Amino acid sequence: MGEAILFTLFSLSAVAFALGMVFRRNAVHCALHLVGVLLSLSGMFVLLHAQFIAAIQILVYAGAIMVLFLFVVMLLNVKGETPLLTPGSAKGFGFFFAFIAFVELLWIVVSQGGTEGEPAPVPALPPNFGSPAEIGKILYTTWLFPFEVTSILLMIAVVGAVVLAKRKFA
Amino acid sequence: MDAAFLIESAVKVLIVLGFVLLGVPLIVWMERKVIGHMQDRIGPQRVGPFGLLQTIADGIKLFFKEDLIPGQADRVVFFLAPALSVITAFVALSVVPFGDKVTVFGRDVPLHVADVNVAILWVLGTTSMGVYGIVLGGWASNSKYPLLGGLRSSAQMISYELAQGISLVSVILMTGTLSLAGIVAQQEHMWFIVPQFFAFVIFLLCGIAETNRAPFDLPEAETELVAGFHTEYSSMKFALYFLAEYANMMVVSAVAISVFFGGWRGPFLPPVAWFLIKLSLFLFFFVWLRATFPRLRYDQLMAFGWKVLLPASLLNLAVTAIVVALTG
Repeated sequence: MGEAILFTLFSLSAVAFALGMVFRRNAVHCALHLVGVLLSLSGMFVLLHAQFIAAIQILVYAGAIMVLFLFVVMLLNVKGETPLLTPGSAKGFGFFFAFIAFVELLWIVVSQGGTEGEPAPVPALPPNFGSPAEIGKILYTTWLFPFEVTSILLMIAVVGAVVLAKRKFA
Repeated sequence: MDAAFLIESAVKVLIVLGFVLLGVPLIVWMERKVIGHMQDRIGPQRVGPFGLLQTIADGIKLFFKEDLIPGQADRVVFFLAPALSVITAFVALSVVPFGDKVTVFGRDVPLHVADVNVAILWVLGTTSMGVYGIVLGGWASNSKYPLLGGLRSSAQMISYELAQGISLVSVILMTGTLSLAGIVAQQEHMWFIVPQFFAFVIFLLCGIAETNRAPFDLPEAETELVAGFHTEYSSMKFALYFLAEYANMMVVSAVAISVFFGGWRGPFLPPVAWFLIKLSLFLFFFVWLRATFPRLRYDQLMAFGWKVLLPASLLNLAVTAIVVALTG
């Protein structure tokens, strides 16, 4: 019961913030709405027993990455966006991608969820599910290779950023 | 989730809120009194015994002041920013244990609002959210000095957050838990200040920078930025920023106590009393620093954060990791 109320609350606020993010004109307001979406999602993660992911979501995305976004937006002082496409072609692209997304979702619903009868029973969660220790174990055993590949990718990004920043002033 | 649990949580939330709201005027009074004596003045003494009611009087004065909003300000964000500052400071205190279990009406009541298994990450997350209050306040004012103050503070807080987090990781390595209650529970025989002295020093320095207190109060350096991010704020909105600063001092002190000074542990006196004593000593230390050190220059501050504190905290982490791996 309580869980259902919280889920409704978080999902409604996530959708509302997401709509605000898309429709707001002011770039800083958009960024703030995105922070709202991230916070709502972190609430959802707690409902899914993933407290670690929820805390990381706040700490990394809402607390660090979005602050830097805001930093850049504020420094550039973006007044209004200059449209990349003409309104007509933007509409065309929009309809095209919306149609693809619709077909994909329809495909998923028809291929999996469309069967009659009882939904599959929810598997019982293993003990300590979502705790930092369990996530650490999985990350360093089963998913070690993707994890290391990601870290190398990030390293490349950092080095690339430094190189680009240096070249300008040399 | 039964009714008793809800009532118990609600009461604890109210206690923590009331404690902060009553504690902040006391800290401000102590700050003015202590700095007064350190500078050979007497400090407030007219309102109430020993001037104790001076901050209450100031608060009432702020209530009735005119609330100015700059004409070009972003009104919604201008309202939101001080509220965000206060909320994040209060929310962080919810995971700090301030006493042992007590039995009330036959129920075992642990003395913290919530024991989450990621408490330290929660505190770090909420303090990093606190940056928004200052940055947005500076931006929404639509004025030069507040914007500069806000940008300075966000750069400062992001830089020092890193070293602060890493200094806490070395303690987490030793304890194997992220829960503050769990960390306090493991300090029965030895406070973690002993094996992790360097981590404590780094944490404290970063904590002072995070709360924007002297000598790291660059965001509101009055000689160059008027009053920094809150230049355009008046009346209760200014009071909220004021409240948030002191509440954040409480958060940093409470986390330092729980992680490095055994939390509520101590001989003879009841646990809550020990917690309050340690908290007062920490807050006194904050005030003492402000009366002692001149403000750093901005480039010195950033260089200190990135070139001294961050490498030092990484080194400390590496040494801790090796020792933990060897002794296992």
